Amino acid sequence: MAQSLTHGEMTLPADWRDLFALTKPRVMSLVVFTALCGLLAAPVSVSPVLGFASILAIALGAGASGALNQWYEAGLDAKMKRTANRPLPAGRLDPQTALQFGVGLAAFSLFLMLFASNWQATLLLAASILFYVFVYTMWLKPRTPQNIVIGGAAGAFPPLIGWVAATGSVAPLPVLLFLLIFLWTPPHFWALALFVRSDYAAAGIPMMPVVAGERATRRQVLLYAIIMAGAAIAPWPLGYTGALYGWTSAILSALFVLLSLRVGTRQSAEGDLMLPEKRLFAFSIAYLFILFGAVVADRWVLA
Amino acid sequence: MTEEPTKPPFDEAEYRRRQRSRANLMAWLLGALAILFFLITIAKMQIFQ
Repeated sequence: MAQSLTHGEMTLPADWRDLFALTKPRVMSLVVFTALCGLLAAPVSVSPVLGFASILAIALGAGASGALNQWYEAGLDAKMKRTANRPLPAGRLDPQTALQFGVGLAAFSLFLMLFASNWQATLLLAASILFYVFVYTMWLKPRTPQNIVIGGAAGAFPPLIGWVAATGSVAPLPVLLFLLIFLWTPPHFWALALFVRSDYAAAGIPMMPVVAGERATRRQVLLYAIIMAGAAIAPWPLGYTGALYGWTSAILSALFVLLSLRVGTRQSAEGDLMLPEKRLFAFSIAYLFILFGAVVADRWVLA
Repeated sequence: MTEEPTKPPFDEAEYRRRQRSRANLMAWLLGALAILFFLITIAKMQIFQ
């Protein structure tokens, strides 16, 4: 493995904790959970070993995407308070090590997926890594306020990959789950962007609140929340899930829209604590965890 | 006249500590992967039986 941090004449090897931090472990937890739910919701029985290996491959792929994202954005991260202490901008890791780690991890995740499941899931995993790194990180994020909307597709892949790893084919339910995360991403990230707007502005990232202003962002948060709620409930009337998921999604989506309504219809004042935005951001994470848990519970408990 | 910045003294104990912790981690990871690959092979053999 490459060396980092010059320390006198010699260089210190990178600390493994910094390499681990490069994989964005908190983001990875959501990826692992949604992928696992996609795999468990599939109507086939999967060997626990192969299921575990497939989920591990997805987690490593997500970690590789996070590492390559941080390698590319080290300069931007240094300008934002929220990210300035990451290993690269803080100078605890050198860029070459981060790049080698990211590429190596991506290659290994694809190899593991191919070995443990099938080429269809491997192809989807490769597409999600390439999409996140090249389309979202390098192309969209620095150029357009719609970065989150289109880039959200990268984060929406895991349940689809989990399902395909189990079955070898795509079906309507995982596509609806893909759509749910895709539509969930804008209100989730724009709620965050509203209360860390100054950070994004300092780094020159064209996030919606920076480019289009607060009012337009708030309107879009509400709009996307309403469309997302429709997509979240859709599997129930379409017959792909039962009442357990149906009622859970209906109640939680109504709450999501209510919280978005509060965000969408207000304007922040000087010294505003942005509590409704923070509340929506926190709720949106719990929302996705509970909804995906309900998909699995619906299949396993009520089957 | 400008003075050259003084380099920090090389801390060999820290260097060895990091080397050791990474070597330990790599050993555990390689061991875990060897077991995982063995189990995947067994699971696949059972599927194709």
